[in-house]
Amino acid sequence: MSESVAAVRAGRSWRLWAFVPLILLTAVVALFTAGGSSITGLLGENPPSLDEFDVRRVEFHPGEIRIRVTNPQRDDLTIASVTVDDAIVPFELDGPRTLGRLRSSEIVVRYDWVNGEPIAVGVTSSTGIQTTEEIAAATETPEASAKSVFGYGLIGFLVGVVPVALGLLWLPSLRRAAPEWLAAFMALTAGLLAFLAVEALSEALSLQARLPSALGGAGLVLLGVAFSYLFLTAVSSRLGGREGGGGAGGLALATLVAIGIGLHNMGEGLAIGSSFALGELALGTFFIVGFMIHNVTEGLGIAAPLSEGRSVRWQRLVLLVAVAGGPAILGAWLGGFLTSDLLGVVFFAAAAGAAFEVVVEVARYVARKAPGGLSSPHVLGGFLAGVAVMYVTGLLVG
Amino acid sequence: MPKFTRKGLIAGAAAGAAAAPFARLAWPDTASADPSATHLGHAHSAAGHAAMVGPDVPAPGGPNDLDDLLLPTPALPYEPGRVREYDLFATDKTIEVAQGVEFDAWTYNGTVPGPIIRATEGDLLRVNFTNGGSHPHTIHFHGIHPANMDGVFEVVEPGGEFTYEFAARPAGMQLYHCHATPLKKHIHKGLYGAFIIDPKKPRRPAQELVMVMNGFDTDGDGENNFYTVNGKAFYYAKYPIRVSRSKTVRIYLANLTEFDLVNSFHLHGDFFRYYPTGTGDQFEYTDTVVQAQGQRGIIEIDFANNGLFMFHAHQSEFAELGWMGFFQVTD
Repeated sequence: MSESVAAVRAGRSWRLWAFVPLILLTAVVALFTAGGSSITGLLGENPPSLDEFDVRRVEFHPGEIRIRVTNPQRDDLTIASVTVDDAIVPFELDGPRTLGRLRSSEIVVRYDWVNGEPIAVGVTSSTGIQTTEEIAAATETPEASAKSVFGYGLIGFLVGVVPVALGLLWLPSLRRAAPEWLAAFMALTAGLLAFLAVEALSEALSLQARLPSALGGAGLVLLGVAFSYLFLTAVSSRLGGREGGGGAGGLALATLVAIGIGLHNMGEGLAIGSSFALGELALGTFFIVGFMIHNVTEGLGIAAPLSEGRSVRWQRLVLLVAVAGGPAILGAWLGGFLTSDLLGVVFFAAAAGAAFEVVVEVARYVARKAPGGLSSPHVLGGFLAGVAVMYVTGLLVG
Repeated sequence: MPKFTRKGLIAGAAAGAAAAPFARLAWPDTASADPSATHLGHAHSAAGHAAMVGPDVPAPGGPNDLDDLLLPTPALPYEPGRVREYDLFATDKTIEVAQGVEFDAWTYNGTVPGPIIRATEGDLLRVNFTNGGSHPHTIHFHGIHPANMDGVFEVVEPGGEFTYEFAARPAGMQLYHCHATPLKKHIHKGLYGAFIIDPKKPRRPAQELVMVMNGFDTDGDGENNFYTVNGKAFYYAKYPIRVSRSKTVRIYLANLTEFDLVNSFHLHGDFFRYYPTGTGDQFEYTDTVVQAQGQRGIIEIDFANNGLFMFHAHQSEFAELGWMGFFQVTD
């Protein structure tokens, strides 16, 4: 009896020990900061700041250019001079002139820019460092109006919802397919999701490189990937548990696939919307058609797991289409009107994590159900075909 | 800077445009038909456009800050055996080269360009040079002098001193600059200035001005970010140079721009006589001259009209990056 009480007490005091490192750390940090730059004094001077601005967005309105800049560094940055095409121009500021760390300001320049011609805007700090942003072609930045909201919505609908819905129409044919061919289509789904995952990951990594170092880093990408992967894992085990049996299958698996694809389409919509808003992208017919062909395979990916087992009501199918394709609309709006590289990194990272997770789910499903398991020629061929189809159709929008 | 609103922008449009050195180029439809009607100091009332000149131009410095670099001391008549003595002190100094933009310069006597050195042909010139900067420097004069006074081999270490002594010749617009290596660095950092040698037979009386054309590479990328005369971007747009129509205006012009191969001077609304290097009587009657790095000459203007007349580099880029000013011509 007394022994166990002693053990509990000992356990408590050891738990209190957990605070000792934290207290000591606080003390050491306080000592170090109180000492000022004593260490840098031993080693030499700190290098001077770069004093470069982060030009976040350049908007063109009739007779006016708006430049949003952020201070990406620790030290303050002061906007001293603004140039357009290497000419000093007068400017107004919407925000502070001296920017603290990660603070932003909008520079407003009254300027008769020439439609469709390249233009370079420069912002010079009080220390004389000029940050120049080159715009390939100046075009009027769309304002948020009923028309443009509808326009961006339509883009999202065309590249997201329509192809997924069309792809789902393969469902009746898939239901009549032989089991080994069904396995091949499931593997194809895994292949195309693997492609989307890699694509999203690469997009997230290249976008994070454009972020100020204080915000960005590969760690942010990893955080997004891990978060969405684990979130979908939790969703999957819950859905799988409800249906009984080990792991998700049928409608549950189709839902997971739809979520993974939906997150990816959100990132895609965001990229299309912001590229168009910033004049970096021409939205031609060919471009839209390319995306539709590219994304039709996504519908096939949702149809494949549904083809086995009970039939599904059409309302469910509509819901799946909305989950997989709808986010493209949301993404196009966000990209068109907000444009944030940070949002892009988060969405693409989340899309990569989700797609990876669904690849794993599909693989487990195929391993369980397919005649001949994961190494059957149908499965291997299907996976490769999935990657190849995405690659080839992706060339249409390259 | 107050919080900016769209409404405020419209209300403040006049003031905003007033700050535009090139407002008229940007909004041609609001251009004034009669620029001479511009009333300096009342730019706001003039619908904004006119204040590409006047107090709202974004230029650093106060009204008379550049007088020492613009207005040379009068020429002295020739007198055999006279000694002209100058003290030059090299120092590292942060200077404001455009509104709100600081540049870590290397200077002679704290300014870029350095002080005007003036002597009459035949004077014995004695320049006491002290290097208070953080790098080795020299002074290399253009002109005729002994080899050991050339400012090439006699490198003066930080804290060191050297006295340059030679007879001033030939008459003309000369210049001086540091010749320590790397040469490009020592010149673009600001170690140069005007060196006027007056002829024994005096030039005819005139309102004399010195203009040293230069550029500042504030971000160290090997390209100039700002261009000026006498060191401050748009300075003479903010403070036009007041001259009298009844007297000849004589400008001692030199190009000490680094990186760019040439610079130029263009006068609006009138013509002038240009004497290359100021060494002879031959002149070109023109309104635009081009000078390579280190070239210089003398300009003589007899203004035909009163009013505001622009002068600037005819490289539009230089003009729009600060090398632009005005003469205010009155009776």
